[in-house]
Amino acid sequence: MEHIVFEVGLALTLMAVAGLISIRLRFSIIPFLILIGMTVGPHAPQLGMVDLRFIQSAPLIEFMGRLGVLFLLFYVGLEFSVSRLIRAGRSIAIGGTIHVGLNFVLGLLFGWMMGWPLKEILVVAGIVTVSSSAIVAKVLVDLKRTANPETEMILGIIMFDDVFLAVYLTILSGLLFSGATSVGGVILSGGIALGFMLAILALGRVAVPWLNRVLNIGSTEVFLLVVFAALFLISGFGETLHVAEAIGALLVGLVLGETEHRKRIEHLILPLREVFGAMFFFSFGLSIDPRTLGGAVWPALGAVLLTLVGNFTAGMLAGRSAGLSPKAAANIGLTIVARGEFSIIMANLGKSAGLLSILQPFAALYVLILAVVGPLLAKESKAIFTTLNKVFKWQSPRETKASTAPHGKKEHG
Amino acid sequence: MTNIRESDLPGIGRKFQIDTRSGDKLVIIIHDDGRRELYHFDPDDPDSSISMVTLDDDEARQVAGIIGGLTYRPKALESVEVALNDLVIEWYKVEPNSKCVGRTIGELQIRKRTGATVIAVIDKDQKQTVNPGPDYVLKAETILVVMGERQQIKAFKQLVSNGSE
Repeated sequence: MEHIVFEVGLALTLMAVAGLISIRLRFSIIPFLILIGMTVGPHAPQLGMVDLRFIQSAPLIEFMGRLGVLFLLFYVGLEFSVSRLIRAGRSIAIGGTIHVGLNFVLGLLFGWMMGWPLKEILVVAGIVTVSSSAIVAKVLVDLKRTANPETEMILGIIMFDDVFLAVYLTILSGLLFSGATSVGGVILSGGIALGFMLAILALGRVAVPWLNRVLNIGSTEVFLLVVFAALFLISGFGETLHVAEAIGALLVGLVLGETEHRKRIEHLILPLREVFGAMFFFSFGLSIDPRTLGGAVWPALGAVLLTLVGNFTAGMLAGRSAGLSPKAAANIGLTIVARGEFSIIMANLGKSAGLLSILQPFAALYVLILAVVGPLLAKESKAIFTTLNKVFKWQSPRETKASTAPHGKKEHG
Repeated sequence: MTNIRESDLPGIGRKFQIDTRSGDKLVIIIHDDGRRELYHFDPDDPDSSISMVTLDDDEARQVAGIIGGLTYRPKALESVEVALNDLVIEWYKVEPNSKCVGRTIGELQIRKRTGATVIAVIDKDQKQTVNPGPDYVLKAETILVVMGERQQIKAFKQLVSNGSE
């Protein structure tokens, strides 16, 4: 552990370089972080004098990646609010249900077709269901689509995905870590996890006025310490109850999100989420042995195909049900295919529960492909729509022409 | 009132959609990082924007000032005001027959009697004085930039035009 700071410094340098490349190529940073992690992982070959295998610092980097998950879900919790969801409206509830329902069923079907055991099927269904909020939101901003009519629906679906993730992660972690074998045991352990979640939320609701007073701290230093203490304590405690620490973080976020200090916490946590989030993707890459990827290629490609079809269909149905034009609806389906952080969290859950080891490389390939393909599809959505429209005839050619005529020359950045 | 629709864009910011009386559709996105984007949509095709402008925070404030008529007041309008929560900043022009002409801010005891504060004055010859002192003499056609709550501004107007509350 002599050169630990130097090793972490090297890791950060590599990540920074990956980030610079991703900006250059105008791409999401996520696939680059995973790839660069994979190339310098403990499984990578040693190239003469240059040994970039982060052996000494690997446990530390892994821990920082875990912090990344905590901050990621803590932030999801902070951002989420029930009133916001209600305001988001009925159409989004329908859109979200279609998206989650369709993809979840496809995921179950896929796992079953692969002949995997039940627990693996459940994890895979989770991996393929939840879109990446980070990538999708970034794509919308980058492509200057924030003002488009379908944007609210897309963000609504993403938000709905987050809710689903929270509930599903809770149930699944209860199920995977309790060691229950009978159907009754499984339901019971899932129920305990869900109960823990609801109990914290109920307690949090009651405690909001009290929290408002407690958090009324002028000093940023002490304020952060209090927030961190709550975050780590409750996440850690949840783990002792077989509730994944990520869920604990999410719950703390949900509770603190109800207080009047939400904005301040968000503001302070955001830079931490960015840095440790990057560590998370990097350390996930580190944990992948590139040699195991071979066996996961076909399952990953199959799942990608299924996801593309599932998301496009879901986007079409959701968009049309909300009265959007076919073109806007197609935009929904082509934007929400990006997968990222949540799929990896699911895969990591499977790993720590000791499930089939193929889940990790499978998730890595799956996320790599969709994190790259997703933004590409979103960018080329107009061409894709025009092509598909020739086959499916959603929109009459006259209309399509009118809608594609202007626009066109200002998609740079 | 023109129809303005507001909605949240979680993780991005807030969206304001304005259907103007002239038939244009304008969408303003305020990003959480401070950027503003203005989109102008094709009235015949609500799916694609014809043009867009990105402004950073201080540019946006300047543009807001220009559109709001703060730097150049449209001739047709009597007074201009900006509301910041409960505080209002108003541009008030001293009429030639007003009782306060020739008196100083201190004499009128503007802050003490109304609660409103004169934060700047612009003389007829466009000479500006920021934060004028109590011995500043009010003249006809001078524009007073005054800040206070609505009630205070109301009292201020009474005081300036009648010489008393």
